[in-house]
Amino acid sequence: MSTGLRRLILLCLGILGGVAAWPLTELIVAGQARFPSYLLFVAVLGAAVGILMGAFFGAAAGIFARVQSRILVGMFVGAIIGLIGGIIGLLIGQAALFLIGGRFLSSYRGFQRVGLPISRAIGWAFLGIFVGLAEGFRAGSAKKMGIGVLGGLLGGLIGGFALEYSRLYLPRAFPSRLIGLVVLGLAIGLFYGIIERSMAFGILRVLNGRLKGKEFILNESRIRIGRAKRNQITLEPYENLADRQVQIRFRRGEALLTNLEPKHPVLVNDQPVTEHRLKYEDVLKIGSAKLFYRYD
Amino acid sequence: MKKTIVILALFLICTAAFGYNLRLSQIDASRLLLTQTVRLYVSVTDDLGVPVKGFGPESFTIFESPDGQAFERIEGLTEFKPQAASAEGINFLLLIDNSGSMYDTPEGRPTEDAARMRITHAKTAVRTFLGSMTSPEDTVGLVAYNTSYTLLASPSGDKGQVAGFLDGIQKPGSEQAYTELYAALTLAVRDFQGLGGRKAIVILSDGENYPYFQHSGNPHPEFGNKIYAYTEPIQACVEEGISVYAVNFAAEKDANLEAIALETGGTVFDARSQEELAQVYRRIHEQVAGEYLIGYRATMAPAEKKYVRVQVQENGQSQQAARFYFSSTVFGLPYGKVGVLLIIPFVLAFLALWLISLFKFEKKRGPATLEVLKTRVGRAQTRMMPLGTKKTVIGGSRNADLTIVGNPGIKEQHATVLYDAKKKAYTVVGTGDLTVNNRPVKTKVLEPGDVIDVGGATIVFDDGEV
Repeated sequence: MSTGLRRLILLCLGILGGVAAWPLTELIVAGQARFPSYLLFVAVLGAAVGILMGAFFGAAAGIFARVQSRILVGMFVGAIIGLIGGIIGLLIGQAALFLIGGRFLSSYRGFQRVGLPISRAIGWAFLGIFVGLAEGFRAGSAKKMGIGVLGGLLGGLIGGFALEYSRLYLPRAFPSRLIGLVVLGLAIGLFYGIIERSMAFGILRVLNGRLKGKEFILNESRIRIGRAKRNQITLEPYENLADRQVQIRFRRGEALLTNLEPKHPVLVNDQPVTEHRLKYEDVLKIGSAKLFYRYD
Repeated sequence: MKKTIVILALFLICTAAFGYNLRLSQIDASRLLLTQTVRLYVSVTDDLGVPVKGFGPESFTIFESPDGQAFERIEGLTEFKPQAASAEGINFLLLIDNSGSMYDTPEGRPTEDAARMRITHAKTAVRTFLGSMTSPEDTVGLVAYNTSYTLLASPSGDKGQVAGFLDGIQKPGSEQAYTELYAALTLAVRDFQGLGGRKAIVILSDGENYPYFQHSGNPHPEFGNKIYAYTEPIQACVEEGISVYAVNFAAEKDANLEAIALETGGTVFDARSQEELAQVYRRIHEQVAGEYLIGYRATMAPAEKKYVRVQVQENGQSQQAARFYFSSTVFGLPYGKVGVLLIIPFVLAFLALWLISLFKFEKKRGPATLEVLKTRVGRAQTRMMPLGTKKTVIGGSRNADLTIVGNPGIKEQHATVLYDAKKKAYTVVGTGDLTVNNRPVKTKVLEPGDVIDVGGATIVFDDGEV
């Protein structure tokens, strides 16, 4: 799978996460009066959005690695972290909305067209930040957390404005919250896709065999490669390699490759290595798979 | 608008039946999210603007409404505190009448003696007021009005700024000499809306509303044919919790100005008494210190803003005041009924996710190829080149099979890929500099995934097998 396709899938996951979260938010919003307090109402709403967004983005790693079990585990873990992120994010967002909205309300002029959209967009931005943070937390990657925060912040702001302005200018029956949630998911997905690449250590592109053309983005400080599905890079369709064959560690700008199973030789630029400091454009041969290490 | 009229009507009716003035001067909803409580600062004053003490929690009843029409009674208070002195400052907006009549004597006679003019007394009163301001938390702004409304200084902590503008106030020409008193008060509320906290308007006037349109017969340059009624500033002030304190410069008190002051919880001061003038500031502070703090548990009805009505009862008579606070939630208001059809997008999203997860994104068996990954200099005319059984030439020539143009370092026929039918293998042979897998070679039998570098062009060989 190329980087472009990977980005497209992340976008799709963001949109689908928004679409999946929407019916649940409608149900909860419709039942606001039944809640005993704003605290519980907002927490439940945040949890619903967080769980679904978290689950959909959590599926990404499994989809990229083509491992069904990893999709389910990723969704589960993503949902749990999303739940926490969603609750915290929406509570902070609601607190910000009450604070800023209250200020704007006292200056009534343009409140509907300026004050309320700004207040709501800021509230959404906090939700976005924490939902975006969740996937990075799940992946154990500080970089991905940073990416998520940016995407969530922007997506939340745009989503909040989209919600408010579509509500103002479009017919009453128009599903404004759906638009807001889809924009939020889309922006987080877009940022994961774009910035994930630019903040990565590099790419490993498969040059032959069934996975030819697939690009693995190296955005974790330790990458393991082998036949087994538990590796970040699974080369299942290839021969002459161990379940866990190679480890690449990124430290202080250097990429150190280690052959974990000397029974099977690992070649870099046609030379067998046990430990090797990788440089861009090196050609790796791991079992029958050939990979090209590149930056862009 | 309809809602506010209803609130105002209730307010006015009750005022007539009750000896005191009730004002909801501040709503503190900062604890709404964490504790579900809202705190109200309620001012009860007599006709002299003096806080009335002695009301207990049983005297107050709180109502809340999502629309300003259907009010729900709140059972039980969470907090009650008489004389809940607040350390918060007060924002003052001083409105000075600069109409023609302010250049007469207090008795209403024309004069050329500046010392006897009402405006001179008004300016002195403003200076007295500024001099009596002691709290550093307070802010003050200045407005001059006649036919027009002019904000001279927005409320700030800089008292010197206000004093400076005061000196610049000049006698108006005949067109500017009218008195849009009610309009000025209404517009002052607008200028005050951006500020939080407690707000008080101090108007220095001879109490006369003398609208331009009514008396000149010409449309007002800003308001056109509109003539402001005295109820309009009352309505605006009640909504915003602003009290109006009037300093009167006429021999007789104007009935409407007095009504505006009293019904907004303020009072009228007599400008002829220097002693009384010096007390204006202290009296306003005393009023704030005499407020009742009432806390209650908020309802959960969805609304962008919630209306609160506080009602105070004594001896079978009651009075009420209403204001609203911000109660919008991040996801906004419900649309109405939620149908079962909502399940469809939920199911579809998961279905789409499942379909995406089924994609293998794997390559199928195909022909042997040369694929140009990138070129450092120049560009490749073909990105993907299927290899046949004949030889394939890579070079800068237009006649080459895989042409890389714009790179002078590449020879016309830089490298050739040959097919050995017996061994079913491809071999690359270089006439110029050539590397395969970053190693310089002259010739090499190619393996799938080998990376050929021809003058900075990175080309991947693949035999097409999977």
